[in-house]
Amino acid sequence: MMTIRNLDFFGFLLVFLVAIIGIGTHYYLRDRRRELYPYGKWDELLKRLAPLDHQNLERIALDPAVAPYQEIQLVEATNPQEIWRVLGGMRGIELMEKNCSVLVDLVFYVQQWYPEALLVAEQLRLNAREVEWHIGRLKATAKSGRPPVAAAEYLQQAVAIYYHMTREVLALYEQANLPGLADLQRAL
Amino acid sequence: MHLSGAVFAFWAAGFTAHFLLLFVLLFRHHAKTFPAFTTLIAANLLNSIALYEIALRGSKHAYFVAYFAFAILDLVLQLAVTYELARSVFCPTGTWARDIRKGFLILVLGSLAVAFVLACLPSPPEKTVLGMLLDRGNLFSSALQCELFVGMIAFSSTANLPWNTHVARIAQGLGFYSLIGLVTEAGHNILTRNTLAFESLTYVRMSTYLLCASYWIVMLWLPAPAPQELPEEAQRQLFTLQRRVEYDLRKLRALKR
Repeated sequence: MMTIRNLDFFGFLLVFLVAIIGIGTHYYLRDRRRELYPYGKWDELLKRLAPLDHQNLERIALDPAVAPYQEIQLVEATNPQEIWRVLGGMRGIELMEKNCSVLVDLVFYVQQWYPEALLVAEQLRLNAREVEWHIGRLKATAKSGRPPVAAAEYLQQAVAIYYHMTREVLALYEQANLPGLADLQRAL
Repeated sequence: MHLSGAVFAFWAAGFTAHFLLLFVLLFRHHAKTFPAFTTLIAANLLNSIALYEIALRGSKHAYFVAYFAFAILDLVLQLAVTYELARSVFCPTGTWARDIRKGFLILVLGSLAVAFVLACLPSPPEKTVLGMLLDRGNLFSSALQCELFVGMIAFSSTANLPWNTHVARIAQGLGFYSLIGLVTEAGHNILTRNTLAFESLTYVRMSTYLLCASYWIVMLWLPAPAPQELPEEAQRQLFTLQRRVEYDLRKLRALKR
């Protein structure tokens, strides 16, 4: 018997089903993309890396103010406006964000295929997620219309982490003798 | 109680599927990895035998009470399996990944609330209290499982945590069965028992379960892809990378304040 309450029920059920199937499909397809990277298959993964000016990144990252294993200090060696310009403004941040997600995928790849490296890979996964979060925060700051100068030192630190991370990931793949290293070097 | 040809065929198919699946779980040594799932399949096998005996020798009421008791056991074990799968994905190092703990708790509480509302909404035709509880309970169980599985997929994807092959296959089967179960139980909640439409929905649900059981038999029989060995030097490199990123992050965190 179709009562008003049952009609409400079917309305709610329909919304529920659409939401469940929609969310499930979205994330399932996202995961499937990863599953398309079985051991040794790199092409699809590397195609996602957007080209960034490696020399400019290096210039920002190797600034004495953000040199690794140095204490925190204000950015003085490089002009904040210059950092923003050299990075390529908003487009640069977006590319860095995209590339960072690929780096996270590379960590995922290690975690999936090398269970003996699970402990350190798990820690690295947490760190990589935090880097993503910081880059996302920078993007939001820039989009909100606040002058990029205000976030310059933060931006420079994020670029430095991103840069060091790419270098270390390259070194890792070189050490592990994993396939696709030349492509990875070109892309990063 | 007399069993019709179709009901007997479903019973025989279900019994065979559970028997084979339990054999695969034990023979392939999956019982240690998936104790809750193995218990669920063993309980379902016991369920098939007990309900068959009661259907042949017991009263209709006794059958219904036994069916109800097994349905509760099934719900508890399915939730245990969900927890087992969640643990294997979200506890890669033995403890819950700290970036998903809070979100997962919210997911569980939110899923319970939504499933409860959904199960309370339909206004069923005249039914016994036990019958109504059973139909609402099945709807609650299916909705809850659907939400939890979709939530788990979303969390693992966002947190970049890989699914072990066999864990993924069990979850896919249970998720698909719960989704179809949600639709069939929605129908059960507004239809009168012993009508053709009601029985047809039951057959759809049973056929789906048989399909999932067959899928598990094949997938759990096949070995998972072998893991690779990471050279010692690369492990050291990975450790250095992690330390460096952690150190740099400390600087970034300090700047944020």
